[in-house]
Amino acid sequence: MKKINYNDKGSILNPLKNLQFYARKPVTEPLGPRPASASYRGFHINDLDKCIGCSSCQKICDNAAITMVEVPSIEEDASKGLRNLRPAIDYGRCCWCALCVDICPTSAIEMTREYVHVCDGDETDSYFIFPKETGIHGDSFEKGWTKTEDSDLLDRARRPMGEMEPEARIDNFDEIVDGFTMEMAIEEASRCVDCGLCEDACPAHMHAPNYIRSIYEGNLEQAVEWMYETNPFSHVCGRVCTHICETACSLGHGEGESDPIAIRWLKRFAMDNVSKTKIKQIARKGKSRKKSGKSIAVVGAGPAGLTAAFDLVKKGHKVTVYESLPKAGGMTRYGIPNYRLPKDRLDQDIEVIQSVGVDIKYNVKVGTDISMAQLQKDNHAVVMAIGMQMGRSTRIPGSDNKMVVKAVDLLRMIPKGDEFNVPKSAVVIGGGNVAMDIARSLARLQKQKYNEVNITVSALEQLGKTFLADDDEVIESKEEGIVILDARGPKQCVIENNKLTGLETVKVISIFDEQGRFAPKYDEENLQFHEADMVVEAIGQMSDVSILGDELTEELEWNRGRIQIDGNGATSVEWLWSAGDMVKGPDVINAVADGHRVADDIDKFLNK
Amino acid sequence: MSKHKEGHSKSYEKLKLKTTLKEILDVAVSFEKTARDFYTAMIPKVSKNIRYIVEELAEEEQQHYDLFLSLKNDPYVQSQLDERIKTPTENHKFSDYVQLLDLGDNPDDQTILQYALAREDAAMKQYQDLADNAPEGELQDTFRFLAIEEAEHKLELEKKYYEIIHSGGPQ
Amino acid sequence: MRPENYQAVKLGQSNEYEIFIGPNHPGIEGNYAFRLMLDGDIVVSGKADAGYLHRGFEKLMEGRLWIQNLAIVPRICVPDPAPMEVAYSMAVEEIMGIEAPIRAQWIRTMQLELSRVAAHLFTFGGHAATTGMYTPMFWGVADRDLVLDLFEDFTGGRVYSIYNIPGGVRRELPPEFLQKLSNLLDYLESRQNDYDNLLFTNQVFVDRAKGCGALTQEQALELSVTGPNLRACGLAYDVRRDDPYLVYDELEFDIPIQTAGDAYARILVRRDELFQSIRILRQIIERLPSIKGKIRTPIPNPLSWNVRKGEAYARVESSKGELAYYVVSDGGDKPYRVHVRGPSSMHAVQTLEFLAKGARLEDVAQIMFSLDACPPEVDR
Repeated sequence: MKKINYNDKGSILNPLKNLQFYARKPVTEPLGPRPASASYRGFHINDLDKCIGCSSCQKICDNAAITMVEVPSIEEDASKGLRNLRPAIDYGRCCWCALCVDICPTSAIEMTREYVHVCDGDETDSYFIFPKETGIHGDSFEKGWTKTEDSDLLDRARRPMGEMEPEARIDNFDEIVDGFTMEMAIEEASRCVDCGLCEDACPAHMHAPNYIRSIYEGNLEQAVEWMYETNPFSHVCGRVCTHICETACSLGHGEGESDPIAIRWLKRFAMDNVSKTKIKQIARKGKSRKKSGKSIAVVGAGPAGLTAAFDLVKKGHKVTVYESLPKAGGMTRYGIPNYRLPKDRLDQDIEVIQSVGVDIKYNVKVGTDISMAQLQKDNHAVVMAIGMQMGRSTRIPGSDNKMVVKAVDLLRMIPKGDEFNVPKSAVVIGGGNVAMDIARSLARLQKQKYNEVNITVSALEQLGKTFLADDDEVIESKEEGIVILDARGPKQCVIENNKLTGLETVKVISIFDEQGRFAPKYDEENLQFHEADMVVEAIGQMSDVSILGDELTEELEWNRGRIQIDGNGATSVEWLWSAGDMVKGPDVINAVADGHRVADDIDKFLNK
Repeated sequence: MSKHKEGHSKSYEKLKLKTTLKEILDVAVSFEKTARDFYTAMIPKVSKNIRYIVEELAEEEQQHYDLFLSLKNDPYVQSQLDERIKTPTENHKFSDYVQLLDLGDNPDDQTILQYALAREDAAMKQYQDLADNAPEGELQDTFRFLAIEEAEHKLELEKKYYEIIHSGGPQ
Repeated sequence: MRPENYQAVKLGQSNEYEIFIGPNHPGIEGNYAFRLMLDGDIVVSGKADAGYLHRGFEKLMEGRLWIQNLAIVPRICVPDPAPMEVAYSMAVEEIMGIEAPIRAQWIRTMQLELSRVAAHLFTFGGHAATTGMYTPMFWGVADRDLVLDLFEDFTGGRVYSIYNIPGGVRRELPPEFLQKLSNLLDYLESRQNDYDNLLFTNQVFVDRAKGCGALTQEQALELSVTGPNLRACGLAYDVRRDDPYLVYDELEFDIPIQTAGDAYARILVRRDELFQSIRILRQIIERLPSIKGKIRTPIPNPLSWNVRKGEAYARVESSKGELAYYVVSDGGDKPYRVHVRGPSSMHAVQTLEFLAKGARLEDVAQIMFSLDACPPEVDR
């Protein structure tokens, strides 16, 4: 580099040297817009099909340039995590920072290389645009700034959950899943974009974004407070919830590997790490000091019945719950094995509910020990929440043998401690989670007694395609030595000299019809025999509505086998409400949601 | 499921012996009619919560009854009523369910559905056999149509069966 | 003009009169006003009148998520925005206790030096224009535009790159980028003679600039002058050397100084610095391909990102002088306080007022521009 000395005087002639420019080629630029660079942050495009309406772009926008507008023609489905909101952008505010692009969980919103927009006075509204796939002027410009792995602002990977090894868990009923540590929970919670799709999807509308945020801030008590606003079965749901929230989670909608937030495990973490005393205090919050003088009977101490009771007691009513079994919890106790839901956790949920003032009468069977008519006479309202505790049978030939049993009956015996002969080999008919529960429970008992597992699960559905049970259940069952024979339909239980020898199955060719309805077709030639000392049927369940009595059954309106209820759970009979599995099908969180609805409606009715 | 009621076995005998189209159609019509009456009579006997199943079955049989009746009155079929048709040899399935079974005083949903399913299956096979034996042409097409009709009915029932009986398990 | 600053004042009989410069005038990059008291064409006193570009950014930042502020900070200094995002990111990183990956640090260094080149080219043009020479202004702006093309290429934005993020940078360099950069550097070097002939050794310019707005080293230090303005007074103070950040301690470069402390000395320092920047960029072109790895240390999801409690002061050497961000977090998802230590307020307020005294009216604009102050950064 040439040095210039400060003390040089310079020359008046020096500028003239630039006259040589006359000999140089002039620099000219075209008048039209120049093509922008490959990562240019120009006008937005939005793939309306990829966009799920989570509003993360709106939240990250530092100039409040994005408004979410409702597009009625777009599908809305809370359980899938789809909203019909789509971003509209005010280019009077936008600063083209592309944070909306980098945060978008589904990579729907992107920027193009288009940057010219001219309008006159009448069209100033044209700066407010609704981006579609074709861009601001419908010209389908090339893409500019799109999300890359580096620029993605979201953490896509779920913190791994530790589990007991198969060898360690197969001979006992100890809980399998380890649960998060504080550090993992905070990291997992930090991934949440607070879109609220989970809350919309949850039947009970649990405030998941709020408690996730509280966990992220390390305030577990506050997290539990958020949970108890909507769910007195938070320990249970923290372990065995069907977590529709996680299906809806916007992070799970991402392309490629993108895990939803482990909402269920976060709930479990917060519940496990707040003391019972504190939880009782939290649960009592908002309890009415006034006694209403009204009394309500609840039939069935499962999640639906107890949630209704919990709410009603907090509203100042007197509630008595009648339970035919020796302990409360319903299917969560007598259906779900301990390794998935340790009973001490369930006990705690129930203890908290009782601490608020819910009175549970055990071993009282409504219909025999006390009639519905009596309950009606003694109370201002009655809630039926008896669940679906009776197993269905295939009624295939031989299924009347005494060694052909129903899964729900066996599952009930295990926690009750009832003695039964553990079969050396067993076949389970069914492919749902109940089938897995009984198969894995029997496997544990076999291991304890005979030191080897011999269980076959025979299901109509095909693994990896139509199979009903959760993937985790399938994987863990296989790890525990259970054989799953998929796409097989039961033909007959083979009986020789009055003794069960096994199950004969046929191959399933297809399982659904064109409309997606369940209609299995079989290849009757393709037979297979599975030797077994016991056949367990886990095909479906029903509710024992006979306890209602003939008169009430006749008085009630029914809807395809279930008691007809309105949106609030009220039946056609003025004093009777119904909630939970028996009217809504089997699911804890739906039962909890039902309990709340019924409690609200009864409270309104009683205050009329 | 095998307590045959006296008096109903006659219809099978009829079907076996009579071989004109008229008589076949007469039996078919009465087959649907007895079924309809059977289900209708059952309605008040079953528990109210599963009454809808029987009601729907009765209604479906009524629709079939109407269909067969109108078929019998169709001018073409009218002209063919005296046509003699070879009686299918393999018709025992049909015969089983031409009989009405005593399902007990308070049958449950599964029993009713299983009975209805088997009955539709037999009817379907019967018409199929008749079609196979009928002379080619409109008559054969008529039986084929009836067979398809029954097959579709059976398929619908099967789906209903799975929906009611295999109604999922807990979470 | 705001009435509270421009109320007619009844003065006693005097030869002095008041003249207003600004808020729109060619002496400065942006809206800024200066009120002069003149005796003939000699300035008796000058009063800076800032505030036309006050947007309350420091306050605004307290109400925005940590990451949202990245779109605000470059707006604090339009001609030299890169140091803003880098300093802000560095301050937040320091509070978080994270560090940008080494490759990101190299890219950041490159971005800073490119930004310095663009800013100096702009200043050459502006300074020349205040002496009535408009060709260098067109040149300066046109050549700066070539640098902006490169910014567009690798950051997606020509002026406001918004390329940094606490933890690193947002995007890998596009293919062939370093070659493009190398070509640009060749071009800029080839322009050296043109600029020298037309501006730096042009006797008209030299005569106008020499002695104009001279500061001694002591005065400069007393007035908190930093950057090229201070180095033109003979003190080789440069944050890149004295408190190295990013990868400056691995790079070879000189700190050009002059001793006269006047407008000519200042522009010569900038001219030499521009070529030092080219030298640094050449080293980066050579080293960067061998520096592999990630460009971003992950931060938590920015929508719920609570930066842990703490405070940090991160400073860089911008083209105007020492630029620093003082950031305080109370553990929330937004900053508790952000303070920008911009060099321009020292230059455009106290230094300008000091230098204007006794100057001739026609030199005031030159003094202003030779200090290379940036009004949006004064006001923020």
